[in-house]
Amino acid sequence: MKVIEIKEVYKIYNETEIEVHAVNGVTLDFQEAEFATIVGPSGSGKTTLLNLLGGLDLPTSGQILIDGVDLSKLKSSALIDFRMKNIGFVFQAYNLIPVLTAKENVEFIMSLQKWIKKERDQRTFELLKSVGLSERANSRPAKMSGGQQQRIAVARALASRPKFVLADEPTANLDSKSATTLLEIMGKLNHEEKITFIFSTHDPRVVKMAHRVITLEDGKVVSDEVRE
Amino acid sequence: MKDFQLAWRNIWRNKRRTLITAASVFFAIFFALVMRSFQLGAYDRLFKNVIESYSGYLQLQHKDYSDEPVLDNSFVVDQYMLEQLKKDPNVRSVVPRLESFALAAAGSRTQGTIVMGIDPERENEVSDIIKRLVKFKLSPEVNEALKKEPIPDRTKKLIDVIGSESYASIGRMMLDLGISLEDTSSVLPIFRRQASFSNYYFNNTDTQCVIIGDGLSDYLKISVGDTLVLMGQGYHGTTAAGKYVVKGIVKLPTPDIDNIIVYIPINSARELYAAPGMATSAVFSLKSNSDKDVLLTAGRLKQIVSDPLVLKPWRELNALLVNQMEADSRSGMIMIGILYLVIAFGVFGTVLMMMAERRREFGMLISIGMQKRKLAKVVSLEILLLGFVGIIAGVIASLPVVIYGNIHPIRFTGEMARMYEDYGFEPVMPTLLPGIFYLWQIIVVLIILVIAITFSVRKIFRIKVISALRA
Repeated sequence: MKVIEIKEVYKIYNETEIEVHAVNGVTLDFQEAEFATIVGPSGSGKTTLLNLLGGLDLPTSGQILIDGVDLSKLKSSALIDFRMKNIGFVFQAYNLIPVLTAKENVEFIMSLQKWIKKERDQRTFELLKSVGLSERANSRPAKMSGGQQQRIAVARALASRPKFVLADEPTANLDSKSATTLLEIMGKLNHEEKITFIFSTHDPRVVKMAHRVITLEDGKVVSDEVRE
Repeated sequence: MKDFQLAWRNIWRNKRRTLITAASVFFAIFFALVMRSFQLGAYDRLFKNVIESYSGYLQLQHKDYSDEPVLDNSFVVDQYMLEQLKKDPNVRSVVPRLESFALAAAGSRTQGTIVMGIDPERENEVSDIIKRLVKFKLSPEVNEALKKEPIPDRTKKLIDVIGSESYASIGRMMLDLGISLEDTSSVLPIFRRQASFSNYYFNNTDTQCVIIGDGLSDYLKISVGDTLVLMGQGYHGTTAAGKYVVKGIVKLPTPDIDNIIVYIPINSARELYAAPGMATSAVFSLKSNSDKDVLLTAGRLKQIVSDPLVLKPWRELNALLVNQMEADSRSGMIMIGILYLVIAFGVFGTVLMMMAERRREFGMLISIGMQKRKLAKVVSLEILLLGFVGIIAGVIASLPVVIYGNIHPIRFTGEMARMYEDYGFEPVMPTLLPGIFYLWQIIVVLIILVIAITFSVRKIFRIKVISALRA
């Protein structure tokens, strides 16, 4: 079942006199529960494509359909609501809310979605357990290591059971051991929760784990390899 | 997570900055409240003194009297109307006065005077003439006798410096003669014995007698028991002339008045000026003198009073003083305004830094699904909390100072104290207890906060998620 359809998408920046084709006519589909990675050299358009998929930026032309909904047709506040309900984000720099505990960070989006407390607590407990940080539920991000913060970020991204999770170089700031743990957790959650994961990465460990590897160069898809 | 809880935690993520900003609001509101309380307290006391010593809170006058205060603009006192006016729940009594001019003569000296016809008994309900009667009088003879008594050397020297002087208030005399509070019990009995001045106020049976100002008594060289002749123009051009015995001498704070004032029982004044049953004003004694009640009372009494009579509240009667106080008050407000301006920059500095520091966080929150309006609400709450911490602390800290200042007012010394005593006022500066002016200071700080909020909300709604995430 298709979760995302990208049809002939272009993203052209005109910030200087020279036009930059960050995404140059990309057409792709992502299925439910895929574990896909987008690779390519710096400046190839990985992050731009991820931003377009997340509705953080809009394409210059083309269509991005999530469950049949065209993101460019949504108004600003409707787009924010759409992201809240359908898309999880994992950022390279973790980006947890510093004044909230691990538990509060995980349940934050559920609070925004007005989940009842009982369900929120249950889901938070499940996720903290899944990422192996139940015992750090009441710690604030500043008291946790980078790897632990990124695991909390993954739990937060999955909290409201989104259709897919976008992770922009999630292991870039992590040491080898933390990166491996994080990837194992994401793999497990992808399998258990049937949620699509799309990464942009340079990390060969992520590429090795992925079921599908999309390679970008100069904003174009140069290869799309699906592994068994 | 409730928005309030999130906002509260956010303001404490940079404790030092929050404390500095809250402290700046605290000091601004604290100083503004204390300064304003002293200023308004001083005005309140001054107005009370002036109003209660002469004008009263409300007067009935002929409509032309304030523009042209002459006898021809007087009115016939309608007893039925007075009775109706007295029925108002806030009116205690209505006291008529008849005021005009005359030439006063004694021996070979003459002086133009103000002749104030007053009701001997009821005038004390609206003014304090009786308190102005001279109690002590220094003269060369009295001074010689005093110097032989066991009084401090300092006082003896000051007696020589002062020479002749009259005192209606013991406080003023003590200040002039350097009599300390510790010496009061030993020195005052001596002054009472040697320098007391026999003086009398009117009673209802007095007709041909007057009370005159100390300055006038000095100029005409007359004292209690001497005779004074008054000559002038009566109602509608009649001749006014009469001979009166001086029954008392008052010491008034304003030399211009003290040198020319003659108090006379109102019935004698009516006879002198051929104005039977007339008055130039009627002063109301009110149960509640608050501004609101005075205006409400005036509003009710207007139904009873008919043309050409009008009711004049104290603000109209003392327009010059009110204007002077308002001008002074404005200068105080400018000072406070400058204080708030400095604080406003402080608050803006904090808000600017906060917005710049958290731009990336705001980008993240919007990208994961927090609506901009919700984010704006949280940030607005943060700014309000920051301000409220300062406001509440400032208000709480000001209360003991303001309440203490009201119970134990600052007591003036030196020239300032003499000036107050001259006017018959206690030389103190009390604070005004918390009232509407507290609310105004809070509103000013809230306006500063609202401007800061408007700025940050505008910034939030203009955030571009991608560039914020890259910040």
